[in-house]
Amino acid sequence: MNRKEFLSDCGRMGFAGVALSLFPWLESCSEKAKQEVQGEKARIGIIGTGSRGLFHIQHLIQMPNVEVVALCDNYRPHLEDALQYYPAAKSYDDYRRLLEDTNVQGVIIATPLYLHARMTMDALRAGKRVFCEKSMAFTLDEALEVYNLRKELGGVLFIGQQRLFDPKYIKAMQMIHEGVIGEVVGVRNYWYRNNNWRREVPSPELERHINWRLYSDYSRGLMTELACHQLQNGSWAMGMLPEQVMGSGHLVHWTKDDERDVYDCVSAIFTYPNGVNMTFESIISNKHFGMGEQILGTKGTIDLVTGMHYTDEPAPKGSGMHQLVEQIESGVMSNSVFAGTSWAAETALLAPGMPIMPNIKVVTGESSVGAEADGSKELVEAFIHAVITGKQPDKVLEESYYATQFALLADKAMHENQILRLDDKYRVPYTPLRNR
Amino acid sequence: MEFRFSDKNPLHPISLFSFDAMHTRIEVLLTGLDESAGRSLAERVEQECRQMEHRFNCHDPKSPLAVVNSIAAERKVEVDDELFMALELCEVFRRGTAGYFDIATDSARAGERSYQLDAKAHTVSLSREGIRLDMGGFAKGFALERIRKMLAEEGIETALMNFGNSSVAALGHHPYGEWWAVGVEHTKVRGSMAYEVHLDGGAMSVSGRSTDGRYHIVNPTTGGTVAAEELILVEGRSALVVEVLSTALYAAPRAQRGAIIGQYDGYRATEIYCRAGGGVELREIGK
Repeated sequence: MNRKEFLSDCGRMGFAGVALSLFPWLESCSEKAKQEVQGEKARIGIIGTGSRGLFHIQHLIQMPNVEVVALCDNYRPHLEDALQYYPAAKSYDDYRRLLEDTNVQGVIIATPLYLHARMTMDALRAGKRVFCEKSMAFTLDEALEVYNLRKELGGVLFIGQQRLFDPKYIKAMQMIHEGVIGEVVGVRNYWYRNNNWRREVPSPELERHINWRLYSDYSRGLMTELACHQLQNGSWAMGMLPEQVMGSGHLVHWTKDDERDVYDCVSAIFTYPNGVNMTFESIISNKHFGMGEQILGTKGTIDLVTGMHYTDEPAPKGSGMHQLVEQIESGVMSNSVFAGTSWAAETALLAPGMPIMPNIKVVTGESSVGAEADGSKELVEAFIHAVITGKQPDKVLEESYYATQFALLADKAMHENQILRLDDKYRVPYTPLRNR
Repeated sequence: MEFRFSDKNPLHPISLFSFDAMHTRIEVLLTGLDESAGRSLAERVEQECRQMEHRFNCHDPKSPLAVVNSIAAERKVEVDDELFMALELCEVFRRGTAGYFDIATDSARAGERSYQLDAKAHTVSLSREGIRLDMGGFAKGFALERIRKMLAEEGIETALMNFGNSSVAALGHHPYGEWWAVGVEHTKVRGSMAYEVHLDGGAMSVSGRSTDGRYHIVNPTTGGTVAAEELILVEGRSALVVEVLSTALYAAPRAQRGAIIGQYDGYRATEIYCRAGGGVELREIGK
């Protein structure tokens, strides 16, 4: 989706007025904001040019207001991959040298999780405007440190929570806030894949460098790599934060081929102050159910992944046969539309569902690099806008901050086999976004 | 069973009844009977339908068909006259559709000759373990034919029977028109009509993706699920024939459909392509 299509979708959905107060980070997507940066360019450095870094480059090369002036990776083949797109960019193998480059205004950090906080803080201190991939940090303390530093320095900081910019999520949240599905009584998230989550390693000493996701010295596994995206759904939908989390995680299947020590099978339950539960489950040795994110309300359900709205109170389909009765009673004849492919009793209890907007793009969640049309491009565009203007959009960091904190807290709950609450010291101001 | 009676129009008292059967719902509208007679007939129709459902339901372990499926690979199984006749009809249709209607399609290998019928002994045998006969694509049409006959024998001249929306059969025509006008729903724009069928007697059947979007019809010659977007509509005299033909034509490659429908005098088949935004493209098969 290009910017024009995104704006057009937003316009169709009536975002212009209502949505900006609910989702203030979308302001940079408006026509007015576009005019504001007309003719200007953001000079960007990319730290980490592996698969995710290259994914961002695919979007950046389409943006006329971006100049990628510096690239950094300490793994030469990845750096060379990126240099093919930007041969004129300066190349670095130490991110600190890139941060010293005064030509760089903003940085995109796409490195292993354990480096996120350090690199983000170093970049903020160097006066750079920062986009860092999710999750925000490797520990609860680090996430808070990053948040506080950004607040202290007042710079720009975006985290890679792209659902905040996905039109179907925005539309769905707007509908939820308006009460279309009634009171929210449950949130279900799951993400199933069937692959070993490994990248090919050219020589054994690079194992941990390349497959960092599999080792707890560098990664929190499924919670920070996958759950983090989905955990914001409950908070976003209900405008409140979970009170406690419990969970269970184990290495069940992928234990034969390698020395990994992050779980390949996790389940977590987050409970909100009103008693509503949000679940997250991920298994990477079965992919049948794929990726799912569903907000369950007293009047219906919104499936965020497919962009479908299912009502619990379907309007009774005006049976063609009943229409015929009325015709004969009134002594008239007309047609009656009811024929089609077979109606199955087993699925009839589920209303067929209605798309919440036209042209819905559904992503499967199978790719471990990223998917087209999932909000990633719009998120980076918004960051580029912020690099040029120097303005941090309201609330965008808080949404990301809590997604990270609760992903980390759930991982901790699994390791400690305890029910955990987020300590008050980690709580930062979070304004409910409900439109009530 | 739901039963509704209306004599608001005294010239045409209406009985409308419906019940769940064969994994879907059947609705019958008829005119000309008082409430008591209408209710009594409805009950008999339901009873008859239940018997057919039991006989043809391969998922009911006590059904004669389930017995065939469980042991007929080891030895020949004798079945009652009605089931045998139905199986013979299925075999006739298999041959008459170049193999694209096949009750063993979900379990047979591509092109496999999966069952044998012995007309003298009324026995069935399966060619190997694992073959399962499923008469789901036959039973609704068969039941509609049977119900239409029952109603006609009761002197009913005006009735419309809808089995799961995909199979519709008529007796006579609408009391205020020359036919029953049945709209086929557009698959992309719910509630709007893609095509209108006129039934004066006769029947129609529609095949395509299921209402939840799944492709579920298997091509017996390849064993693969058919991923065609169009609907296949068949119109003609017999509810059974239109039911079988709509399934077979959907399963068959487009190029072969004309040759199949060409064998059935008085039957007409149409490919209905529903386009996003409400457009419709129609192509009469074999024309």
